[in-house]
Amino acid sequence: MKLPALTLLLLVVAAGPAAAAPEDLANEVSAEVMSPYCDGVTLHDCPSRAALELRDRIEGWARDGWSKSQIMAELEREFGPGIHATPQDKEGVAAWVLPAAALLVGVAVAAALAMRWTRRRGAEQPEPVDPSDHARVERELAALREETP
Amino acid sequence: MDIVAALGRPAVVVATGFAALTAALFAFGTARARYDLLVAGRRASIATAGFVAVAAVALSAALFAHDFSYEYVANYSSRSLTGPYTFSALWGGMEGSLLFWTLLLAVFAAASLRSATTKGMSPRLVGAAGAVLAGLTLFFLVLLVIPADPFVRLSPAPADGSGLNPLLQSPGMLIHPPLLYTGFVGFSIPFAFAVGALVMKRLEDVWFTSTRRWTLLAWSALSIGIVLGGAWAYTELGWGGYWAWDPVENASFLPWLTATAYLHSVVIQEKRRMFKIWNISLILITYMLAVFGTFLTRSGILSSIHTFTEGPIGKWFLPFLAAMLLGGVALVMWRLDSLKSENRFDAVISRETAFLANNVLFVVAAFTVLWGTIYPIVAEALWGTRLSVGPPFFNRVFVPIALALLLLAGVGPLISWRSMRARALGRVSTGPALVAVVLVVVLAIAGIRSWGALIAFGLCAFTAASIVTEFVRGGRVYRKREKVSWIPAVGRTLVRNRRRYGGYVVHLGIVLIVLGVAGGAFRTERDAHLSQGESFRVGDYRLVYEDLNESRNDEKQIAITSIGVFRDGERVTTMRPQRNLHFAQEQWQSEIAIRTTPIEDLYVVTTTIDPDGAASIRAFVNPLTWWIWAGAFVMAAGMAIILTGRVAAPVLERKKARVGEAIPVSR
Repeated sequence: MKLPALTLLLLVVAAGPAAAAPEDLANEVSAEVMSPYCDGVTLHDCPSRAALELRDRIEGWARDGWSKSQIMAELEREFGPGIHATPQDKEGVAAWVLPAAALLVGVAVAAALAMRWTRRRGAEQPEPVDPSDHARVERELAALREETP
Repeated sequence: MDIVAALGRPAVVVATGFAALTAALFAFGTARARYDLLVAGRRASIATAGFVAVAAVALSAALFAHDFSYEYVANYSSRSLTGPYTFSALWGGMEGSLLFWTLLLAVFAAASLRSATTKGMSPRLVGAAGAVLAGLTLFFLVLLVIPADPFVRLSPAPADGSGLNPLLQSPGMLIHPPLLYTGFVGFSIPFAFAVGALVMKRLEDVWFTSTRRWTLLAWSALSIGIVLGGAWAYTELGWGGYWAWDPVENASFLPWLTATAYLHSVVIQEKRRMFKIWNISLILITYMLAVFGTFLTRSGILSSIHTFTEGPIGKWFLPFLAAMLLGGVALVMWRLDSLKSENRFDAVISRETAFLANNVLFVVAAFTVLWGTIYPIVAEALWGTRLSVGPPFFNRVFVPIALALLLLAGVGPLISWRSMRARALGRVSTGPALVAVVLVVVLAIAGIRSWGALIAFGLCAFTAASIVTEFVRGGRVYRKREKVSWIPAVGRTLVRNRRRYGGYVVHLGIVLIVLGVAGGAFRTERDAHLSQGESFRVGDYRLVYEDLNESRNDEKQIAITSIGVFRDGERVTTMRPQRNLHFAQEQWQSEIAIRTTPIEDLYVVTTTIDPDGAASIRAFVNPLTWWIWAGAFVMAAGMAIILTGRVAAPVLERKKARVGEAIPVSR
């Protein structure tokens, strides 16, 4: 299994990201900022004429060679920090940290429970099973699994 | 005589009285073991449902009669509204949707109490659940009597109504809200029986085995409702997507996530007598999230494109939610000793551990979506700053969890119950893993450059191969045992263990949906402002703005743009997106044109039309979107297979009932 995994990794790394066309960069930016004209909707998804004009302006900046961060900075200067569709700065840290923390805690608790429960179970078994018996049981279980849909 | 006035509000008031009576009869009957009161309570619950139905019929009659002396009718319908959409106005506004919710709740309550009784469940457990259901119904009826009365009169009555929001006048909207409500309200049944089981200390399996079909029905309705909502957004809103992590969408997704966790973990309780606290907590949380979602979307606390139904009911929901949350926590703490697991894990590598991991991921996913949804309010409360939490946040935090869940859906069926050796797991996983690796390598060589898409496609292949392996294993047994060919053998595998294999079919549907979603990584879109005869390119297509046809009827002014679609110089088709002005609402709306194939959708929307006929056209090429809807059909088929299976009756409870505890079904 190691060789295919390595091959895959090499292929994926070699593929690398493609350079974005101005239209694609404009679409990418407009999907990452909220619309100043439609409440709770990204600029990309906002159907208003004003949003259409702002998307055109962003595309114009992209054609002029502006980078994504330059466009984002210009939008923030014009519309304020609330334009970002993802929480930013210190007020936004908790938005990112808590889901990650919840995942870590969840995985840690589940792992600890599984280990504890299986250890207890192990302690309840006083004698080790004979390897030949174990092999026979494994064989029979495998056969049983085969026959049980 | 004004029949609606005579029947509408009076029926709501009488139903409120009956709900209060039902709750009292069930509560006293359960506390004092008075079975005559329990029988009366069940009859009162039927009467409640009957009167709520009368109120719903009255409001529907007012809608169909265009009786604009009712504020609700004037606000959500108009003379030009056609038949089915006139009916859908019943749930098009806040008051009507609450009436519809209450109708479903009252009917489900009466039906579930009857079916629980006929299944021989302990009468006092049924009584306790009945009291909870009546209490929930009473809450919603009080809303209809005081802050959200759908029968408020207007004087003088306007000549015509404002009409239903044009975006809601779509076939999907005839089915999508009722399915979501069926899902939300359906979870009240397992919730009520779980609370009843906690109160009565009847924490054997009966509360969930008896309500399993309700849980499955609610989950299935919610699943299909969510997908239909996505289909509606895709075909009506004109931004080329189907899911925007809007608070309304999140509100339906939250209970779906916890309910899905519950449907998996309850299997562990059935098979191993484990996870009892977890399961009962999950079902309590699921219903609370369903109500919380209603609070979020109806209170106006969050703003979204859906908040056309903002209203004054938030302050009623908050104490109701707080009471459910505190009551639920108190009940679980009270019965903690009776909820201990009767078994332990045998090994770390086992089906049980896979289910545990699945549950952790589902609950973390639910927390993540909830946190992102309420974070703007939290940030505003803490720092006074109104932050935005949009789709990029949700995509970044949710997608990795979803991919891990997809991996588990592939690994789960391959792992044995109780214990499995790592080597054995490696052996059974080799086939599906090879399929996945080969696919990913081929795609990478073919030029796919998106990491996320490659991982998603690989996991789809792995999980699909794992499911196919399971069907092949099952089919092989029937082929050998019953000497039949492959197709009937696989058919028998499916039919004779509907719950397990129906579940695999649902997983296969999820795989197809993920495939369609992953295709979004290759979406291409272009905007253009064109005069007639001009063209622009999107993906491999050249779109030519060929013609504009304008007309009008009583309802709207219609502008149809004809867009010629060419590929390699050949005309592929002509698409006709529209831009319409609805007079009643003074609202412009785009009708989207979609050319759909399993490979890609060409999606064209006319966003503006100038007086000189020049038009702004937006076009998207959405690869693989078709598979999302195909996956939903496969999921629905899986759900139908599971729902048509036999549900094991609670044997212990049936025996107890036989010795003299049962309530007669009718007397």
